[in-house]
Amino acid sequence: MFKTYSALKKNGVIGINERNVRYVSALNPRKFFYKVDDKEVTKTLATAVGIPTPELYGVIKDARDMKRLSEFMDHPDGFVIKPAQGSQGKGIFVVEGPLKGGWRLSSGRRVDLDDIKFQINNMLSGMYSLGGQPDKALIEYRVKFDDVFGKVSYKGVPDIRVIALKGIPIFSMVRLPTAESDGKANLHKGGVGVGVNIATGLTARAMQFDRLIEIHPDTAHPLEDIQAPFWDDILLMAAKSYDVTGLGYIGVDVVLDREKGPLLLELNARPGISIQIANRRGMREVLERAMALSAVNRTASERVKVAKELALELNPLAVNSSS
Amino acid sequence: MKTSLRHAAILALALIAVGLGIFFVKAIALHYPLVPGAQATLWDFEIYIEFEGRNQPARIESYIPAGDVERTFPQEEFYNGSFGLSLAGEPTTRNRKAVWTYRYPANRKVVRYGAQTLGETQSTPLPLWFRESLTSVMPFEADSVKRQAFIVWSGNLRQRSADDFSFADLAIKETFEQRTNSEQYADEIEALLDNNSGVIGRLQLARQLLQSQGIPARIAGGVYLSEARRRVETRRWLEYHIDGEDFRYFPGGAPDRFFTIWYGTKPLVEARGVDNLDVQIALRSRDTEATSIAQNAPGRLGDVGRAVGFNNLPLTTQLVYEVLLTIPVGIAILVFLRQFIGFKTLGTFMPVLIGIAFRETALLNGILLFTLLIVLGLALRFYLERLHLLLVPRLAVVLIFIVMAMAGITVLMTGANQAIGLSISLFPMVILTMTIERMSIVWEESSAGEAIKQGMGSLAVASITYLAMSNDHVEYLMYQFPELLLVLMGICVMMGRYTGLRLSELWRFRALVGS
Repeated sequence: MFKTYSALKKNGVIGINERNVRYVSALNPRKFFYKVDDKEVTKTLATAVGIPTPELYGVIKDARDMKRLSEFMDHPDGFVIKPAQGSQGKGIFVVEGPLKGGWRLSSGRRVDLDDIKFQINNMLSGMYSLGGQPDKALIEYRVKFDDVFGKVSYKGVPDIRVIALKGIPIFSMVRLPTAESDGKANLHKGGVGVGVNIATGLTARAMQFDRLIEIHPDTAHPLEDIQAPFWDDILLMAAKSYDVTGLGYIGVDVVLDREKGPLLLELNARPGISIQIANRRGMREVLERAMALSAVNRTASERVKVAKELALELNPLAVNSSS
Repeated sequence: MKTSLRHAAILALALIAVGLGIFFVKAIALHYPLVPGAQATLWDFEIYIEFEGRNQPARIESYIPAGDVERTFPQEEFYNGSFGLSLAGEPTTRNRKAVWTYRYPANRKVVRYGAQTLGETQSTPLPLWFRESLTSVMPFEADSVKRQAFIVWSGNLRQRSADDFSFADLAIKETFEQRTNSEQYADEIEALLDNNSGVIGRLQLARQLLQSQGIPARIAGGVYLSEARRRVETRRWLEYHIDGEDFRYFPGGAPDRFFTIWYGTKPLVEARGVDNLDVQIALRSRDTEATSIAQNAPGRLGDVGRAVGFNNLPLTTQLVYEVLLTIPVGIAILVFLRQFIGFKTLGTFMPVLIGIAFRETALLNGILLFTLLIVLGLALRFYLERLHLLLVPRLAVVLIFIVMAMAGITVLMTGANQAIGLSISLFPMVILTMTIERMSIVWEESSAGEAIKQGMGSLAVASITYLAMSNDHVEYLMYQFPELLLVLMGICVMMGRYTGLRLSELWRFRALVGS
């Protein structure tokens, strides 16, 4: 037990306690949390500095807004209904398009207007929000996800998580849905996490349920050496997110749209630590180095440059193996 | 970052230091017992003075115990009859005297003094002022013959001893020894004792010998606390102090416990203007809760002990606090299990609340009833899922169902003569409802396995906290020493800055153990 402890400590693995004390509570002022807890606020802030997000079709706050529901849903390409304060993808409703007077969900199920209204009412009553406070329902553009991760995804939408320390991207992974995770990209449900080299945007190692894997469990495609497209844009989005939120330790979730490129889905003020398993290394060293670097004021694009240099310096092997 | 860590560490250490400081003062200086139900023997002590008045002014003086020795001395009472009472002090010996006076008493009269004491032992320290009352006195100033004898003998004793310790031993031994003819200084001792060869005279001589060497010494009077009876003899003994060490010499053997009343060679009671004076000292022992004696400790220190306690509150409130004060213990354990072990529970403090409910049901029944209610509630919750109810009304339905289930179980169990059915009513139903809701959400969002795992985790934590909170020792310690709350708070502050891995994370990150 002590052997394991000291081995993990030597490898720089941080636990939930360390994340909470050293990073979340030290770098994320509570007064800014609303900027990431409410996805409508996040969207507004991100759009203002040029971070692309899925287009917002409408917001439902109360029964009066509900009258405009059919107007908001008038998009034959489909749309997504999600609670503004939901977390971990809870309560999200992906509508692919109209079907026989109702709508077809991504799961293939047909729903009618009453089903949708019930779901929205659940969201408004706070069923999916933290602490159960009343919430809003957002209706927005449905992402048509890029095929780059198509071969290593089973249903659902893969996304890219970048962790940024004071705007310096330090760790990244691609989260892939599996049959076991029911098409969701959440790691604790069985999604696959694949480490991505910050310097290059190439995927490297992978994990599922805290265990290391080499191939996707459903599609059997190898997970290594896939180039994430628009990598510099994604890093820049992560860097800019710090400027608009003031939160020093965030997880930036990005999806790749076939037509619109990378879009910011949401920001997370308490990003999980499983990303260390996906990258097969601990975060402490890079966190501490980035912390030292953050003493100097830099613009977002300068921070991306610094981040890449840091990644090359700390993880040179990964570059060699992929070249 | 660094400063906040230092700040937290200082705060935690300060809280722990203050809490433990008060705790040790109470435990060591005030003798608060550390285990529940500790008994101590308390002695009722009474000086009973009976006499006949002569129809002329009467004055009865009696020494009464002074508060200068470190001893528990809770209540004292005077029974004066028609006499006037005044209290007088003697500055040199620090004795205390009760003086009863009356102008024209007739017939038999009684005055009494009563007190309660734990008594003293050989290890009770002598007061500081006595230790420092260093006066080198040469006795027998007036009588040149006795003076010569004293100088010869004490000089010889000094020659035959190595230091003050052996001098004192030798002086006491020879003063009290049966003299034989071979004894070299028998004549001197005989001359010095003169016709005063009783215990008092010998103690007096020993005291004079010690004082002539600059050793603080005095004669104490009091009673031995050995048996309960009327007409206890007063005893005399010698107290002296050498080089930071206290000594008591009891002629004829030391008692286990004794009670000092006065110092000096004078008799306990002196009376003028009365006939047939009869002084009786009565002792009675009784076993008492050691805590109640500690709570009645005298002096400013005793006030500190009383200030940090609940004994002035109404009994019902005290009983409530007896339970309430154990909750922080459960909470601290919960914090440990979550932050260091990594237990996952449904709701932050929910297991502690369930643990409190277990107090009424006992552990096994508690677990059974809890599981039964959760299973019933979950079944209803899954059924309600199909009805598409809104959140708050759905919670209300589950809560009403829980109350119904609790009532139903009570009725059924009582019908089957099972008393445990009654205790189910103390389960916190709102907590149960929220637990069911959380569990069903985990069930849907993650998996049934995860929900059951978290449910079992909660139950395990509830059981552990229950075992700690219902422990008699824990309950007693927290109630008698509420300052331990500060210690718990300090520990929680420290745990709040723990940044190491949790035990569960060792398993979680096992893939990263290799280099």
